[in-house]
Amino acid sequence: MEHKTKNGYEGLLIVIEGTDGSGKSTQLELLKKSIQDKSYGVMVSEWKTSRLIANVIDDAKERNLLNATTYSLLYAADFADRLENQIIPALKSGFIVLLDRYFYTALARDVVRGQCIEWVKNLYEYAPEPDLVFYLDMPVDVLLKRIIGTTGLDFYESGRDVGFSTDFYKSFEIYQNKCLEQYNKMKEIYNFRSIDGTKSIQEIHKIMNDEVQKLLDSGILA
Amino acid sequence: MGRLTEKHNLKGTLVCVEGIDGSGKSTQLALLRDWLKATGQDVIFTEWNSSELISQTTKLAKKKNMLSPRTFSLLHAVDFADRAKQVIAPALKAGFIVLADRYAYTAFARDVARGVDPQWVRKVYDFAYKPDLAIYFDIDPKTSLERICFNRTPKFYEAGMDLKLSSDPYESYMIFQGRVINEYNKMVDEFGLIKLDANDSIHSKQVKIRELLREVLREKGIEV
Repeated sequence: MEHKTKNGYEGLLIVIEGTDGSGKSTQLELLKKSIQDKSYGVMVSEWKTSRLIANVIDDAKERNLLNATTYSLLYAADFADRLENQIIPALKSGFIVLLDRYFYTALARDVVRGQCIEWVKNLYEYAPEPDLVFYLDMPVDVLLKRIIGTTGLDFYESGRDVGFSTDFYKSFEIYQNKCLEQYNKMKEIYNFRSIDGTKSIQEIHKIMNDEVQKLLDSGILA
Repeated sequence: MGRLTEKHNLKGTLVCVEGIDGSGKSTQLALLRDWLKATGQDVIFTEWNSSELISQTTKLAKKKNMLSPRTFSLLHAVDFADRAKQVIAPALKAGFIVLADRYAYTAFARDVARGVDPQWVRKVYDFAYKPDLAIYFDIDPKTSLERICFNRTPKFYEAGMDLKLSSDPYESYMIFQGRVINEYNKMVDEFGLIKLDANDSIHSKQVKIRELLREVLREKGIEV
């Protein structure tokens, strides 16, 4: 049977992208609730949560065991496992699948780590195209403050494994800037629905909710 | 494709052995290692699915039949990448002879036999150095089965039971390993694998391998 969705299955695939501290998780929760309220089946899946490999990644990160290539491949394995075992089955059953990050995250991070973009794209080339990608666009200075004020400077999230600088803050600043640069390049290529991340939580939620409603009103799930 | 098709310019020498289980490659590599060590060469040995990073996870996942063809492929790529960067590349740069029990070709053979796209998996491994000598031990599935499963049933993934080719593990093994062999044979030309008959005696195979390696080393100015 032919489906109207871009992802090719019966359900909807909606992604929220953005760097750390851009407010993805908060928006995901709100969006999940509002879609549930409309009586649709919703499934949420977050980056790096596969039963197969997520704890291996955490453990390896803790022990600084990763090089750029194993970093890429482990995340690709995590993604493949979630895609095959959670995401695609849910899409096939007609769920609205909400994702916290998609392979765009890998593209940004891996390329910043020096991987060839074509090589990384190949790792994810089988991933279905989302029906909607929200991108929470944040100016870097706001982002830096948010991360420092909440989770603090994580080793990999500051790109310290890449060795940009021995100064923790400097390294963090360079890494996040480079990630943003990659995201900015992807905006057009992957048709991101970019949202100003400095708007209030409710404002952002309204934009997302309206977009989703528009999609649903178009009869895409019929 | 990248490095896998271009000669590396590193000081060391990379030798790998390939073939399905029971083809005698590990025996041959062990003999080669002892000989090289006895002649005073710097040798390092590395084998498939043995990295500290991931090999235990992969083994556990196999036991629980948790792997799809794609995650099977990616986890082995993680293992290989870890050893490639951690062991193989540094040793080659330092001038060692690196002996690898299985190499990227194992992934190309097995993963493609599982239905993974041949170009996709080749690209995944395109960071791997091209071996100076890659030997493929050719054996038929039946002999392989007799050698490795004389006292046990074939394991789930080695028999390709995940592909549901047959509910009988022995029969499934024959079909699946037949496909793997088929892929190996395609790679003889594609990657210049040197094919040896696994049915020859241990001695005659070892004589042949030493001859091949001597020639490779001589080109690098090393006499053994």
